[in-house]
Amino acid sequence: MFSKPFWRQVRSLTRANLKSRYRKTFAGFIWVVLNPVILFGVHSLVFQQFLKLEVPNYLIFLLTGLLPWIFMLQSLEMCTSIFKTSGALLKAYPAHPLVYLTSQLADNLINFLAAFVLILVPLLSIKHFSPLGFFLLPLPIMAMAIGVFGMAWWLATAQVFWGDTRYIVSFAMNVTFLLTPVFYPVNFIPEYLRWIVVVNPFYHLIAPFRIALYEFHLELFMKYLMHSFVVSIFLLLSAAWFWKKKKNEFYLYV
Amino acid sequence: MSDDIILGITKLNLVFRLDLHRSMSWKAAFARAVSNPLSALTAERDRFHVLKDISFQVRKGERVGILGVNGAGKTSLCRCIAGIFRPTTGSISINKPVRAVFNTQVGIKPELTGRENAELLAQFVYPDESNHSELINEALEFSELGNFIDIPFQNYSNGMQTRLCLSLISAKPAHLLILDEVYDGADAFFKEKVSKRVLKLIEESGAVLFVSHDAEQIRRVCTRTIILNHNQIVFDGLPQEGLAFFQTLKPIQS
Repeated sequence: MFSKPFWRQVRSLTRANLKSRYRKTFAGFIWVVLNPVILFGVHSLVFQQFLKLEVPNYLIFLLTGLLPWIFMLQSLEMCTSIFKTSGALLKAYPAHPLVYLTSQLADNLINFLAAFVLILVPLLSIKHFSPLGFFLLPLPIMAMAIGVFGMAWWLATAQVFWGDTRYIVSFAMNVTFLLTPVFYPVNFIPEYLRWIVVVNPFYHLIAPFRIALYEFHLELFMKYLMHSFVVSIFLLLSAAWFWKKKKNEFYLYV
Repeated sequence: MSDDIILGITKLNLVFRLDLHRSMSWKAAFARAVSNPLSALTAERDRFHVLKDISFQVRKGERVGILGVNGAGKTSLCRCIAGIFRPTTGSISINKPVRAVFNTQVGIKPELTGRENAELLAQFVYPDESNHSELINEALEFSELGNFIDIPFQNYSNGMQTRLCLSLISAKPAHLLILDEVYDGADAFFKEKVSKRVLKLIEESGAVLFVSHDAEQIRRVCTRTIILNHNQIVFDGLPQEGLAFFQTLKPIQS
């Protein structure tokens, strides 16, 4: 499945996605990064200035939760309908459906990294980051990308068979945002309700990313990174299982 | 399977589950369940046998015309061979890569230009080749689209879209080539021009499956004809005899 031609097709389609997105726009790339930048600004204003959340270095704390969240939210919302919207192409030229999903995800990942760097650079002056945390940052990003790929694969396949899926995703993501420690720390949640984050895959995908930049501690980082990879690989394998179960009927309904 | 046999199909059956396509409200579903509680157990009624017990072989050098009225199963058969549809039962053996084209009016990224779409299309039609530039330039020149090459694909007429796609897909021979009503949409002048090129392509390819409603084309191109009727093979033999047999089927269908 993941052969050389597969990756060549993904690369070409990702490049085409980026080109088509910026074409005929005056500010081009800025529009894509402006959305997370504005969301970051508004969240920091509301939670730091209005609600006065007492979290040290709140801007860094928020950045390390909100940016990964936006990446995951946009990826899942855009990828859920990807098989359905690519139906005519899937039936016209024999190419693996995951080419379309992977290139959409790659497109979102590039935008996420660009927005992340754009916000992080000015913050470098207000906090000292651990160089080791910085160096290890690609690992939680990789775990997050694998986990989101698994979830997106699940949802995009489900959408082919059940048209309600994308509506449920949209609703579920709004609810999950409030239940995930993105803009508040996990210790704000009472002990008896902590199970909510334990069963929340988004929390496990965000946690090592936050530890690497916000409060780096190698032992803690490795522990949460392991959790993150376990969750990601579970999501990926379960999506592959679901795909295998459904692939015989997939093209009939796409 | 000997080297001489390029394609072998044994007892191929393809069944669609129509109940998954049917749009039904909760109210209607409830009413159906109440009025006919056994409906869940009699789901067999909701299945559509698209291909029934199809068996044949294609040898090197054969050019097989596939004929049949609309809905006979021609495209579904070709999609099974191309690996797009997975048969419900039966087997398909192919010892060489297949190049299949089912729709010549689909732009991978319609908002990008014709040239950019040709570059993308080349990745999907010729996945095993890493350098497509020479092939794309030759195809663009053949298409005679002139300055239209650099305007968005979505602004093309159906005929122009067909010109671009046909020029590209007919650029190189294949081991097993599947062409499914590929001339649809092309104007008379271009149809004549591309027909010569497709004929050359067919002669240079290992074997060809050619789906068309045009009796003259079948007569000119093919060395053998398979006729599908009511989703099964009803004739397999020489084109001249096949076309005569096909004429006898038409009044029954109409």
